[in-house]
Parts: sequence; structure tokens; C-alpha cells
Amino acid sequence: MGKQKKEEDRVVRKMAEYVMEAKHVYKSYGKPKVKKGEISLDTKLVVEAVRDVSLQIRKGDIKLVFGPSGSGKSTLLRCLAMLDIPDKGQIYLGDEELTKSGVDLNKARARIGFVFQHIYLFRHLTALGNVELALRKVLKLPKEEARKRALDALTEVKVSDCVSKYPSQMSGGQAQRVGIARALARNPDIILLDEPTSALDPELTGEVIDTLRDLAKEGTTMLIVSHEMPFAREVAEEMIFYDEGRILETGPPSQFFNAPNTDRAKKFMDRIIKRTTRE
Amino acid sequence: MFEWLLNPMFQQMILEGVLLTIEITLFGVLLGLGVGTLLAIGDIYGNKPVKAAIAVYVEFFRGGPLFVQIFLAVYTLPTLLNLQIDHAILAFLVFGLNSAGYQKGYIKSSMEAILGDQMQAGLSVGLSKAQTVRSVILPQAYRIVIPSWTNEFCSLTKSTAVLSYVGLMDLVGAGRSILFRNMEILPVWIVVAIIYLAWITGFSKMMDIIYEKKKIPGIELSA
Repeated sequence: MGKQKKEEDRVVRKMAEYVMEAKHVYKSYGKPKVKKGEISLDTKLVVEAVRDVSLQIRKGDIKLVFGPSGSGKSTLLRCLAMLDIPDKGQIYLGDEELTKSGVDLNKARARIGFVFQHIYLFRHLTALGNVELALRKVLKLPKEEARKRALDALTEVKVSDCVSKYPSQMSGGQAQRVGIARALARNPDIILLDEPTSALDPELTGEVIDTLRDLAKEGTTMLIVSHEMPFAREVAEEMIFYDEGRILETGPPSQFFNAPNTDRAKKFMDRIIKRTTRE
Repeated sequence: MFEWLLNPMFQQMILEGVLLTIEITLFGVLLGLGVGTLLAIGDIYGNKPVKAAIAVYVEFFRGGPLFVQIFLAVYTLPTLLNLQIDHAILAFLVFGLNSAGYQKGYIKSSMEAILGDQMQAGLSVGLSKAQTVRSVILPQAYRIVIPSWTNEFCSLTKSTAVLSYVGLMDLVGAGRSILFRNMEILPVWIVVAIIYLAWITGFSKMMDIIYEKKKIPGIELSA
């Protein structure tokens, strides 16, 4: 009896080691079909975007997920943030299991920063408004304090000149940095970034990568989906090769750049490096 | 031809008619906006029974003649409920609920135009669904809906003509009782038409100004 209790204690303590942990997560979805103007899911065309994925992220970790498009990387990230609810498996944020029923997901999401591939700023709000909104409505900060923190976050990502601009008036790089500031301002436990630069042209990509590099230096915990290989090599502690809904290989950047263990990863790296050098 | 306009009694009738028309349309269109918004939200997020109930509501108010709805409300409802309710209040309620049937459609389609990514963004920063609808979706949807809303207002204003059938003296009712007295058929209707035209034009212009003032770069119908 006493031994069992001890066992449980150890399990709890072990969980809290990680900022975020996924255990055997599955997620599949049907292809959307449109019938009579209603969008529904075609259950015959099931896409298994996440199949038995487990991963752990410690405080200060920077991990990079990469792999072919359509392999389910975005779905995985969305599951981690509980923007998509996994079909099976557990997601932990610190020692709280988010996949348990009855968990206040809004509260949990407030502790997770999320940066979207297509940016998704609030279109009716200025840069300042975009960052302030959650500080006011979620963290319930007083007006002055929310404003100060929002301005600090915008300055940190070097877009303080955009404070009163609306999303449609910003360049893609500025907008994405506002997106990062929005995720950052709440001091989240972890920031999940879903291909933050893939919708931007090369010049703007540089601005955003610089911002991410700064965050990395400050020890921000991040899980990034990206194919920016020089950046990955520089900041990532671990790279995760993801294909067909599974983690195929994990390891430090040197492993992938020198000699990946799996054939699939090797081919993929070859292609990416060829493309990068051509550019 | 128009000398009857100098008659203080006729002036009084026209003025009261104008006021009733304006009151009922303004309150009606605002009630319609509130109820229409709730219906739109229910239709997007509600479960099957809620959606079915909303469909019945919309078909009832949009499919049946407004005149019959007013008639039922004013003559049948008080008897059924065994209550004395002011006709103007009943008429105002019917106008609002009827308008909600139309406005639900405008608001829902505006919301759906912006819902996908903006809901994701709202949830991602920790807002609840309801908070996101309130602070993110509706402020954008209302901006987009203003032009269709102005149309709804114009058509509702002219629908007030049916009020005279239940003994309420709106502008058309006032016109009719004036011409029963002076038989100046064409001049009376010309005056009534000019008043409608002036009020609707003025109001539409005001809404245009509000639309331009509230416009945010990047949030437009054509965008």
C-alpha cells in the first residue's frame, strides 16, 4: 500500500519535470465535404494526422519539428495547444492533464503561446490591440499595466513602430512579429510556432528568424515547426523528423546534418539542403 | 392643391404619423439586431434542436405576411393571454421579431466570413468561445453588416404602412385619414412619399457616414 503511494508520488513529480508532454496522442480527421452548403466530414476519407506521438519538452528547451507537408505537423501542434482535441492519448501542461474531461481549456491555452503559419491577427485591432486583448480579457490586468506589457512585448520583437497600425497595413514580417508578441506577452510556459516563416518571402523571413533567435537567447521554451535549416542548426537542441503522422527520428541537429539514422530523413534532408544551396 | 398642409389638425396628424413610423422602425430594427445576433450565434454554435427551432422561427417570420403577424399579435394574442397590451408595443415587438428573421441571415453570413481564423486566434490566446464572439467576431461582423442593415431599415420603414390596418396612425394611416377628409388623393400621397424619401435618404446617409467612420482597413465586404 505504502509502496504504491510512493510510486504515484514519483509519477506526479516526474510529470512536472516537463513543461509540456504528449503521451501516445492520436488524431485523425475526415476530409471535409460540402453537401447542400453544409460542410461535414467524410468519414470514409480519414486522414491520420497524428499516430501514437509522444514527446517531452523541458523548461528552456527549443525543439524543432520538420517533415514533408501534409504529414500532420500542424495538427500535432494544434493538439498540443488543445485547439484540436486529440482522439486518444494525453497532453500535459506542467503536471495538469489537459485531455482529462472537465479541464478549463481556456485557462490552459492562456499559458500556451501559439503562432500561426498564416499569422491570424485580429483584423479589427491595431498591433497594440492585438497584444492587449488577452492581457485585459484573460489575465484581467488593469488597463495601464496591460498597455505597458503589450508595448514591452512589441518592442521586444522590434515592431514598436507598428503599434497603431492595423494588420492590413503591416508587412508580412511585421504582422508575424506582432503575432509573436501576442503569444509572448502573457509570459506563457511554452510557445508553439507553426511554420512561422513559410508564408513570408525570404527577406521578411530573416526578420522573423532574428526575432526567434532573440527569444532563444533568452531561454524561451519553444516547439517550432520549421524548415529553416540554418536556424535549426543554430538554436535547436533537438530536431524531430515527422512523417505520415509519426515521429520517425529525433536527435541533435548534428545527427540530421551529418548522418540521419533513417532513410526517409536522409532523403528529406538531402532535398532540403539541395534546395537551400540552390537558393 | 397643397393648402391643406396649413391646416393645424392635418399637420398634427402627419407629425404624429411620422413619429410613430420612426419610433417603431428604430426600436424594431434595434430589437431585430439584438435578437438576430442571438439567432445567428445559436444557428452557428447551437445543437440540432436549437438550429431547428431557429429555422422554424425564421421561416415563420420571413415566410408569413407581416400584416397577418401584426394582426394576430394585436387582436389574438391579448385575448389568448387575457392581457391588455398597448397596440403600439405589440406592433413594435412584431416588427423587431420579424426583422430579426431577416437580420439573422445577414449577421450569420458576416460572422461566417470571418469565423475560421479569427476564432482560432481568439482561442489560442486563452479567450473562451463566447469571449471571442463578443470581442473579436461581432465587432468585425457588425462592420461588414452595416450596408445590408441599412437596406433592412429602409424596407422596415415602409412596412410600417400595415400598422394602419390595426388602428395605429403611422404616416400612411395619417395620409389616409387626411384624404378621407379633403379628397386630395394625389397631393396627400405625394407629401407622404416625400417624407418617407427624406427620412430614408437621411438615415441611409447617416449610416454611410458611420460605415466610413467605423471602417477599418482590411475589413470590407469586397476584401
